[in-house]
Amino acid sequence: MTSHVKIRLASERVNHSVPTNRELPRFYTPGEVVTGMEDFMRGHGTYASDDCLKASVAGVMQKVNKLICVRPLKNRYVGEIGDVVVGRVLEVQQRRWKVETNSRLDSVLQLSSVNLPGGELRRRSAEDEQMMRKHLQEGDLISAEVQSVFSDGSLSLHTRSLKYGKLSQGILMKVFPSLIKRRKNHFHNLPCGISVIIGNNGYIWISPPEQNNLVEEEKDEIVNVEVQCISRSDRETMARVRNCIAALVASKMLLDDTSIMFAYEESLKYDNVKELLDPEAMLDVAFLTQHRINNVLEE
Amino acid sequence: MAGLLLSPTEKVFIVHGVQDDHRSDGRTNIDYRPMELETNVVSHATGSSRLRLANTDILVGVKTEIDVPTPEKPDLGKIEFYVDCSANAAPQFEGRGGEQLAIGIAKLMQAAYHSSDAFDLKQLCIFEGKQCWKIYVDILILECGGNLCDAVSMAVKAALFNTKLPSVKAALMDGGNIDLQLSDDPYDAKSLDIGTAPLLVTLCKIGDKCVVDPSAEEESCSVISVVVGVTGNPSSYSTEENVSDSAKESKFTTIEMVGSGSVAPKTLKDAMNQGMVAAKLLDKALGEALLRERQETQVKTKKHSYGFLR
Amino acid sequence: MSSDFNVKRPGLELLSSQGLRLDGRRPNELRRIQCKLGVFTQPDGSAYIEQGNTKVLAAVYGPHQAAKSKSLQDSVVINCQYSMATFSTGERKKRPRGGRKSEAISMQLTQAITTAIKKELYPRSQIDVYLEVLQADGGAYSASVNAATLALIDAGIPMKAYLCSCTASIAWKDGKPEPLVDVSHVEESAGGSVLTVSSLPSINSVAWVDMSQRLHADYLSVVMKRAMQGCRDIEVILDKAVREHLGESWTMSDDAVAI
Repeated sequence: MTSHVKIRLASERVNHSVPTNRELPRFYTPGEVVTGMEDFMRGHGTYASDDCLKASVAGVMQKVNKLICVRPLKNRYVGEIGDVVVGRVLEVQQRRWKVETNSRLDSVLQLSSVNLPGGELRRRSAEDEQMMRKHLQEGDLISAEVQSVFSDGSLSLHTRSLKYGKLSQGILMKVFPSLIKRRKNHFHNLPCGISVIIGNNGYIWISPPEQNNLVEEEKDEIVNVEVQCISRSDRETMARVRNCIAALVASKMLLDDTSIMFAYEESLKYDNVKELLDPEAMLDVAFLTQHRINNVLEE
Repeated sequence: MAGLLLSPTEKVFIVHGVQDDHRSDGRTNIDYRPMELETNVVSHATGSSRLRLANTDILVGVKTEIDVPTPEKPDLGKIEFYVDCSANAAPQFEGRGGEQLAIGIAKLMQAAYHSSDAFDLKQLCIFEGKQCWKIYVDILILECGGNLCDAVSMAVKAALFNTKLPSVKAALMDGGNIDLQLSDDPYDAKSLDIGTAPLLVTLCKIGDKCVVDPSAEEESCSVISVVVGVTGNPSSYSTEENVSDSAKESKFTTIEMVGSGSVAPKTLKDAMNQGMVAAKLLDKALGEALLRERQETQVKTKKHSYGFLR
Repeated sequence: MSSDFNVKRPGLELLSSQGLRLDGRRPNELRRIQCKLGVFTQPDGSAYIEQGNTKVLAAVYGPHQAAKSKSLQDSVVINCQYSMATFSTGERKKRPRGGRKSEAISMQLTQAITTAIKKELYPRSQIDVYLEVLQADGGAYSASVNAATLALIDAGIPMKAYLCSCTASIAWKDGKPEPLVDVSHVEESAGGSVLTVSSLPSINSVAWVDMSQRLHADYLSVVMKRAMQGCRDIEVILDKAVREHLGESWTMSDDAVAI
């Protein structure tokens, strides 16, 4: 049993960087010339000046055909259609909700973009409009998909699928969006028995299994499940996953179901979940995870 | 404290976790998150410290001034606390946004240090009735991750531990005025006696139970917290053994309830007991860390200050 | 007569007979600069800089939705606050901000930063830049600008180029003017005029200039030149720090290569 209070000195600080066996890419910094203008298209993180393309952020150059972008280490979430996001309802407005998604502008969830109780596709009546707060109120968390991007860059979301909708009990974690690995699927039921939603916007939702998406069920049952106690073992597993993600983030490692699961397995040598709050343990878990990822990549 | 928005179901999850003695990050109700401490980080201050508790970040600078004691208490010096919530911590603190929170914490600290059992103001007296030291303890909150009070009180104690008052070499009486000559030698200075200085412990009531070291999320699930100030044990702060038993005993110096809720008398009593236990653990750990740092400084001739650079 | 002499040559005692300054620097030498990006977890970007004994923390929040009253349809709103810790100066300060001086500096910072940001990219948004001076030993404004630049880069906010700031003053050696770069507090208080320049060295443009006290117009160009050179030197140091930070933190290279 570790002690309840632990104070380390600044001189004993742990350096969280984990060595990778890859070469560092070429970095560009603001104002640096990336390339001449000929035949190239200006993408994110670049601007045109004096007949050349210059970087406007510090990061790595990416080239897709003729489009040139510079991707920074971290920034606010830039949404793309089809992305899975986790967001928090900020405001209930006329026929829409304002949702916070770690973007630079608040996102919008239209009343017409949600599945209302009953599930069938039907016109939204005035009654529905008055019931909006019953459906989603300020503070509620939702998972959703990016439906479209408005001209000013703000996102329009939809939850018109069984997997999306209001989230019940669980833990929300916020990380940089650039740490999220783009995958086909962002909903995972981990082998350890809990589910995670790894939102493209950097918000990660950890919940006990089959607790999501209650919108479709009967109203009475929803209330029940929402206040139901979660078993001690589920709670422990959730806390362990949370701390593993925190360890990976501290070492700035990419997050997907594989890396989280590797970290989870490596963390099992620490019996007590709270030991994983210790910087040394965090680094150890991240290091072992990186090692396993390297092995997989080599195979 | 800062307006953190949580959904009702997230709150249910946190409340049940506390009930189960298993919080979202695996801590039990009496566990603190890991802390990091460094003293002597601001060279313009007489004493300073920086404490990081998870992502709560506190910087304390102590400044001293020569002042005239009040006529009612001619043999006592003065100590004053000032808290500033930097906008770096949260955009809501911009301008005067953090003022209320800051004043609340400063008042708590002032109350906790008020008793002579906690901090003896006699050691700040230079010339009875004429001159005394006035200590300004300036607290800067750089990042908020919950549990500000506890973190502030620990950082303050560390900064006072780091404070050295220059010796008075000579005093010239010139009519009614006294002209003091202070020693320029940085080694010719005396440390403050801060062994008994109090620490604050926040007991955050969530559901029916109280937890120590609440995270920002946990704080927003609670309507009432009890903050207790408990005197420290001098033997944790010095290697000498001549400490009287009465000083070793922990005493409450302040008790305050923060928030809009209320508690049952029994819960309050339990909370206070829990606070006393937690304060003793904190005090011991802080003392160990400070002595360890002092030893390290003595081994290396020139101290390398890490500050914010690493 | 003697007072006239002093006014004409205020920085007389700032250089030793060997041509060294009070802290042992050469006239064109910067103080030691150390900096770090990403010191805090909550803000979108943060940075810390030490220029000699001047120490500044910067935090950037945003870009986020602008408050309705401030929101602009075609550009981002920059909001700055400059604050000095009560223990940052030799004499204790009564309050960290809200005074006329700190309000003025906040406005000057807003102006300088606005010139560097690609503001047309973020309509209806707002970027908050908060500066906290922990120790002031001359050139706190300049250090704040440099810290803000690093924090903005850490937050991934597009900028035209590095925004750097540097001070310069004038001293006299053998009756000849000798401009001093990166003025310390002692030199500042010794009385000469101090020129503060914020510039974007790599596109060779000046963002903001301030001059305290008077300076003969004949000498302005040499002092200005020295301050601009200081900005260029600082840019090199900041760029090195940014690249080091990227190198330490960049663990996602596989993704970058895959696309």
